[in-house]
Amino acid sequence: MMILNTLLLATSPLLAAQPAVPGGGTLAIKVGRAETVSDGTVLHAVILIEDGRIAVVGEDLPIERGIPVVDLGPDSVVIPGLVNAYSRQGMDSRGSNKSNPGLRASGELYPAFRDYKKLLEAGVCTLGLYPAGNGIPGRAVAVRTQGSTPAEMILADDVYLKILLRSSASSKSMITKGFEEADEYAKKEAKAREKWEKAKEKADKKNKKKKKDEQEDPGPGPFVAPQKDPKAAAFQELRDRELSALISIRSAGDFLHLFDAIGEEQFDFALRVPLSRETNLFLVKRELKELGCAIIMEPRLSLHPATQRQRNLPHEMVKAGMQLVLIPSSDSLDSHQKWLNDTGVLVGAGLPSHDALRAMTLAPAKVLGLAERLGSISAGKDANMLFFTGDPFEPSNKVKTVMLEGKIVFGEL
Amino acid sequence: MRLLMNTRNLGLTCLLLWPFMALGAAAPLGLALGDDDEKGKEEEEEKESEPIPEEDKDAYFALLNADIYTGTGTLLRGAGLLSKNGKIVEIGYEILIPGRDYYADIEEDERDFRVEILDAGGMRVYPGLVAISSSGLTGASGDFRDSIDPFSSNMILGLAAGITSTGQGRAAVKLKRYISQDPPLAYDFDGVVLSSKTYASMSWSSSSAKRTLREKFTRAAEYLREYHQWQIDVKKDKELKEPKKSGVDGSTLEVLKGELLPRFRADERLDLLGIARFAQEFGFRPVIDGCREGWTVADELGRAGAMAILTARDRRDKGEELRREGGSSIENATLLSAAGVQVAIVPSSKGISLSGIVGRDIMHLTVEVDFAIRGGLSERLALDSITRVPARMMGISHRVGTLEVGKDCDLIVTDGDLLHYETFVQYAVVDGDLVYDKQDELYYAHIRPRPESSLAPEETLDAGENEGSQDEDEDDGDGDGDEDEEKEDDEE
Repeated sequence: MMILNTLLLATSPLLAAQPAVPGGGTLAIKVGRAETVSDGTVLHAVILIEDGRIAVVGEDLPIERGIPVVDLGPDSVVIPGLVNAYSRQGMDSRGSNKSNPGLRASGELYPAFRDYKKLLEAGVCTLGLYPAGNGIPGRAVAVRTQGSTPAEMILADDVYLKILLRSSASSKSMITKGFEEADEYAKKEAKAREKWEKAKEKADKKNKKKKKDEQEDPGPGPFVAPQKDPKAAAFQELRDRELSALISIRSAGDFLHLFDAIGEEQFDFALRVPLSRETNLFLVKRELKELGCAIIMEPRLSLHPATQRQRNLPHEMVKAGMQLVLIPSSDSLDSHQKWLNDTGVLVGAGLPSHDALRAMTLAPAKVLGLAERLGSISAGKDANMLFFTGDPFEPSNKVKTVMLEGKIVFGEL
Repeated sequence: MRLLMNTRNLGLTCLLLWPFMALGAAAPLGLALGDDDEKGKEEEEEKESEPIPEEDKDAYFALLNADIYTGTGTLLRGAGLLSKNGKIVEIGYEILIPGRDYYADIEEDERDFRVEILDAGGMRVYPGLVAISSSGLTGASGDFRDSIDPFSSNMILGLAAGITSTGQGRAAVKLKRYISQDPPLAYDFDGVVLSSKTYASMSWSSSSAKRTLREKFTRAAEYLREYHQWQIDVKKDKELKEPKKSGVDGSTLEVLKGELLPRFRADERLDLLGIARFAQEFGFRPVIDGCREGWTVADELGRAGAMAILTARDRRDKGEELRREGGSSIENATLLSAAGVQVAIVPSSKGISLSGIVGRDIMHLTVEVDFAIRGGLSERLALDSITRVPARMMGISHRVGTLEVGKDCDLIVTDGDLLHYETFVQYAVVDGDLVYDKQDELYYAHIRPRPESSLAPEETLDAGENEGSQDEDEDDGDGDGDEDEEKEDDEE
């Protein structure tokens, strides 16, 4: 507490000078309960926001005089802004069946899309937008749901490479061939480099031996790598961990085929499993546990195959040690608006609410590689926050206020 | 490890940690530790070394106390079977099992092998059934290796029906199911396809088809003659060129070389006779699918070395205008077999259907066979018709179809006579892995549930020896705990 205190004091001289306006500058908010996601629940929380970022969060922190304070009362609850890591909101291109690992979704970003505002009002502050298509459709982009130009919206590009894997030889060879092509490129590059080095050596030798009046051999110049095929490039980036993958599978069988296709290759990936009525992914719980990666699902209860017995697969995945990432039950505005309610159904069926919240905020932020920047209420992160009166998963409790990077974009404090 | 976990429920007797079973083995160990400190240190060092990866371990599967019908005509009562890495290494009596009869003193986590023991006391063991053709049992299509669904419910039902291998399209595949184990093992994708080309399809349906067939065989035979002559001549004249292969049909050539069996689809007597004569003319053995009127020309078919794929309950009267014998006969399989025609039997519906009239789908191979038995076929030949004969027809009999040393450990354990309608498959094993246990699956567990007591007779251990054996107790506790947890998970 002491440390926090001094921190608060330290920031104060700066603040005293400028009058704080809600929606910008510096602001302290008192909330009955803050679900920080990263540091658990903080009761009687004080959150200091400075220049669009969260400066400090703590329980009952003393607030320096001069800083405007908003007290939301004991019933108020704040959660981090929602992050949907897997969406195509506002994108209208049609994908092809051809793999195109070089394609960027950021190219089709359309900031004037009218529903971005409504998404933001529903509490969705961040989106991961992926390109359409089968096979390897391309690279996703992470955006904030506000901005009048693509540049204003984009948080990060190339956040993941989407791959659709199915149980078939052609689909599996997409991955194996991708890595083979990366190998071939590496060989080609090594050969070119060897050739270049030889040429350079030759030139150097010549220059050493040359007489004074002779002209210097310019040599081969700087090394130019051979042209990279986008597929080889993408898989090389995967290998070098510069890019992560998002692999969509449908069943436990696909999961085994995925591992057969990957073989010995090592790279980071998240799994996307569309929850159907009888998804049988629980059959490979142990294997998933060993993997421990992120798994992206809808907030939906499914049935044990060939029965009417309900299964809470998202909860099972959490128990198996996977990082659960929830997305709206469908990629429509309506589903985004009902996202918290739908997730509430899972919570009602046993999923702990802190796991549910994490699955809608910090976990998807991680998938987008933005966990350092957003996804939780903690010092240093963007001030993306949603304010409620009461339990956010309670269907009657709607988002009252949405704050995006320190600005009130919906409702009021 | 899976078996360990389910010990009590499965009625399996796990003898892995039977401490000091052989006192002889324990004594030298004690001496070694006592006498030689250095040796003790060495052992400690070994313990620190990295655990052996599960994939590199030898996998043993042992089956005990069963009446083993090997499928070769032999019955071994109260016998055992041991397989190593999916291949049968021993069948018979007094089989030594690693981890129980030797290497018992090595700690489980230091072993370079794992062993599963299934005590099938009082039950019968048969070779896994071979369905000559089926559809939908693997959840795969076309490229089976890369499209199989190792979790397919149809595959579980196929195993429940005793089928471990089947013809699918041109290929022969195994019903290799994946059951998650602790620690997980990689799925053996390469073991799925037994053979990608099991037969050459031949048409005897129209006069033009017959003409084409004759042309193909004539050309292929001509080529073979030229080739053989060339093989002789080339020894004298090394410059001589190999005869040209142009216009030679690949499959036909394989048939004439005896590398592939041709398969015809024919039912009528005249067609059957035609095929038999054609086959004799060119010197190959035809497989005839259908063969409804085969019983009327059994002798000719036998002489041609034909094989037949029958649906034993087939009922069709001959045309009224015909004065000769014809139509179907319940004695078809019997008469053909008597004439030397090898018979494979398959139900009329090749897929699994869980509704409609019961007993006509691929799950009822054994019921279909019963119709042939009603027509006089011996039970031994009846078993052959769903095991070794279809395996032979598909060219996979060197691996499946009978239980013999060196062949794949694909077997089923039943609670009675395989061909009796009340009999259930209790366990199915593919490549030495237990892939089906009736009590673990939702489908038939509730019908005449296995009386645990009769299946897993309490081992009459010496009470004194067993007492204080922490290891075994712990293991039992663990196993049950895991099982319970698993169940709880499932219910949620």
